[in-house]
Amino acid sequence: MARHKKSQPDLFRTFIRRLIPMLLLAMLVWGVLRPALDGAISASAQLLIRAFEYPRVTHLVTEDHRAQVRRTDLTTSRVPTVALTEIHFNTIVLLALFLSLPEPLSRRQLERLFMGWCVLLLSQTLNLVFHVKCIYAFDLGQWSLAAYSDLARNAYGFLRYFTDLPGRFSFPFLIWLGFSWDQLSGMINTSATEATPSPTRRRGRQSRSR
Amino acid sequence: MDLRALWMRPELRFLILFLVILAVGFTVIALRTVDETVVVPYTTLIAKASGGILHLLGEDITVDGRVLRSPRFSVTIYNGCNGLITSLIFISGVLAFPARWSAKLIGVVGGLLAIQIINLVRIVSLFFIGVFLPQYFSESHIFVWQSIVILAGVTLWIVWAHYYGAPQKEPA
Repeated sequence: MARHKKSQPDLFRTFIRRLIPMLLLAMLVWGVLRPALDGAISASAQLLIRAFEYPRVTHLVTEDHRAQVRRTDLTTSRVPTVALTEIHFNTIVLLALFLSLPEPLSRRQLERLFMGWCVLLLSQTLNLVFHVKCIYAFDLGQWSLAAYSDLARNAYGFLRYFTDLPGRFSFPFLIWLGFSWDQLSGMINTSATEATPSPTRRRGRQSRSR
Repeated sequence: MDLRALWMRPELRFLILFLVILAVGFTVIALRTVDETVVVPYTTLIAKASGGILHLLGEDITVDGRVLRSPRFSVTIYNGCNGLITSLIFISGVLAFPARWSAKLIGVVGGLLAIQIINLVRIVSLFFIGVFLPQYFSESHIFVWQSIVILAGVTLWIVWAHYYGAPQKEPA
């Protein structure tokens, strides 16, 4: 087993110890914010879809934690829906990871959490956008075939796949990594993550030490 | 922008490698051939293992492909429920992180086993939730267990990186 630095275990143990209580707290926060997240993601996705369509016909209605996909120019016997819980449940993971770090309520940590959450919301919005576009491209029979090319169908299918399970599972971790690298490097073996000084910098340091 | 200087920064190198391996991994498992020859048989194996555990726990269970059937409840194991995505994220993290190859091998094998054990606990517990508390099945399946499985994968990676990260030369 490789050695690990003596200064790291405290941060590491604190993080591991806090993870389960913070997961429960994150679930509670998410549960409270769930209706607001449903509405925010649906509204952002609708805005984004309508920004690129003419005439603007898409209307997303949130009901029972699902987004109903309605078009004002089409009448279908069955209104397609997208489950919103599956799209934004990963907020729990992001919250749990941020809250498990030391001083989660400090200004710096709250700013990072806010920025990270915004990025995650964007990814969730894009996920819903691609779901809706895939409904348009695949599920509306002859209309889908006439309105979308094979290339468009493949592109939307590919984008939905990547923002679906792979994205939902990996984005919270990636966002947390990106915004908390300095703290993470205190938990893991820092010799692997410390910046390697460039030769110029090294020479500079040597000449200063002389 | 000096790309070489950026590449020399270990944290950026790790993130880039991590993303590349992750993207390649997710693309590969999305291919129809890989899905038919690897992912589906793997999911069937997970269903069989889950069925075996449920049988040991006294359930009258029949495994039909990816479907677990009992007189009390039936559940189908889909591709998102086989632990493969969490395993891919974990493996990408291990392979991208600077460490000895032996440490990476320990990480990949140990992590995969641990994630699959957690996933089996998940499937078995969801089966019993379906039997005794069916009204909570959907919620438990989507946000409780998925969150736990993702966090378990992240935690395993942090534990591995804490103990095995970075190739350190042994003193002569």
